[in-house]
Amino acid sequence: MNVAWWCSSTGQVWTWRYTPFIGVWLVAGTMIGGYVYSHRRAGRALDPKRTRQWVLGVLALFIVSEWPIGQLGVGYLATIGIGRYVVYTMVAAPLLISGIPTWLVEQWFPQGSRRQRALATLTYWPIALLIFNAVLFGTHLPVSIDTLKATQLGSFTVDFLHLGAALVWWWPALRPAHERNSIQEPIRAFYLFASSVLMFVPAAFLTFSPLPLYGLYELAPPLWLSFDPVQDQQAAGIVMNVIGGFVLWGIIAVMFMRWAKEREAADTVTRRERDARTLERIAALDTDASPSDAPSATGPTQP
Amino acid sequence: MTGRSLTTHLVVALAVFGVIAAGCSPTTSTALSATGLEAQPDGWRGIPIDLDRELPDVTLLDTANEPVELGTEFLGDPTLLFFGYTSCPDICPIHLAAISSAMREVGVNFDDMDVVFVSVDPDRDTPERIDDYLANFNTRITGLHSDIEVVGEALAALDLPGPIVEGPDPRGEGDLIGHPAQVIGFDSDGQAQRVWPFGARRSDWTVDLPRIIDEW
Repeated sequence: MNVAWWCSSTGQVWTWRYTPFIGVWLVAGTMIGGYVYSHRRAGRALDPKRTRQWVLGVLALFIVSEWPIGQLGVGYLATIGIGRYVVYTMVAAPLLISGIPTWLVEQWFPQGSRRQRALATLTYWPIALLIFNAVLFGTHLPVSIDTLKATQLGSFTVDFLHLGAALVWWWPALRPAHERNSIQEPIRAFYLFASSVLMFVPAAFLTFSPLPLYGLYELAPPLWLSFDPVQDQQAAGIVMNVIGGFVLWGIIAVMFMRWAKEREAADTVTRRERDARTLERIAALDTDASPSDAPSATGPTQP
Repeated sequence: MTGRSLTTHLVVALAVFGVIAAGCSPTTSTALSATGLEAQPDGWRGIPIDLDRELPDVTLLDTANEPVELGTEFLGDPTLLFFGYTSCPDICPIHLAAISSAMREVGVNFDDMDVVFVSVDPDRDTPERIDDYLANFNTRITGLHSDIEVVGEALAALDLPGPIVEGPDPRGEGDLIGHPAQVIGFDSDGQAQRVWPFGARRSDWTVDLPRIIDEW
């Protein structure tokens, strides 16, 4: 059995012979094991909802990094390559962020530590927006793809950057309101929407370029005879644009509606409180007014 | 675990992983050639041939089994000549797809230029199979075949090595055959002018094809 550490473009003819990627198993195992270990060490019970989110995030990473999807995406089809990016950034990263409880964040990034300061700097939303888009553009340049994905280390670096940048980017949008750098609507909607718009730029290059941009996919042994790298590239652009955009806009819509609902609920509470206070005031006024009215109501008091 | 030790563990783990991954990294033909061909000083992407070589003077058969004099049949138009086989999993389909799609892209048609595919696998490449194979790229690519000795003569005339059996195809489709990986360009007089090794991309051909039509 062939074994490799991470998926990379091998230039070999594609076969359906299983090639496990040991690094993928190792990373996934470390992420699950580390999560459980952190809870045990802290004497905390695993929260079912957060654990589910964390495990699903790791599972998403695992599926698109292991054979065959990892290998097809890195060495043969740009469409699957971009699909991997969409899963890394739009599925796995938000699930992982949502799966981390606040106490664990405080444990991993103790208050006042250098790590905490670094996290605070990286997740400040304008910086996070910049990092995410710099990685998006930088790692989709033809020279980056053709150079980095040809080696296991380079391919791992690209995947690491994609996940890291996506975690930094989702952090301010998904962490609870009381945490530092957390942003709320309407800035959050703008923040996410801005990235979805910027994502159109590389997607448009992929969709509308008349020539294959990536030599790696163009010169890879074709999976079928009439394979056309330009059609593959166009499909990749559509995946980035439509599926990436659709997922992101879906998330934006859900978050916005949730925020609107919370605002509405908060408004209702405020209105009820105000109404209650108003009623109390009226009642108080009635009470204040009652001594003068009392004689007429109850008759004159007898001496 | 303290904050410092966690960071240290992560850095060490990443460094170890990186070293192992780097040690396992394969270097492949695709990886080396993925950036396409370098531009030559004269702007062409194809590499000039300094030797005096002409279209080989051999007689091959087309897919209707009619004889074709390779040395004379294609005079009058520029010709791109390529030796390959229809079961080839990588070099042949990549070259043929790049050339045919670049011709469409820049508007070069088969009335202005000939593209000739000579099979180096007479055992498997029947005329029907060659026709079916070339139809995946363009039906106007000329497919030729003959006994391996005649094909070997043509290769020898161009100082190219003969085909060799490399071992079983991992897809289970018989044997892989090693063959010259370059496309050779001949001018209208049948004189070899340039070669395009494996790694020539569609973008390289879109630069060279108009010049082939204009200058050859």
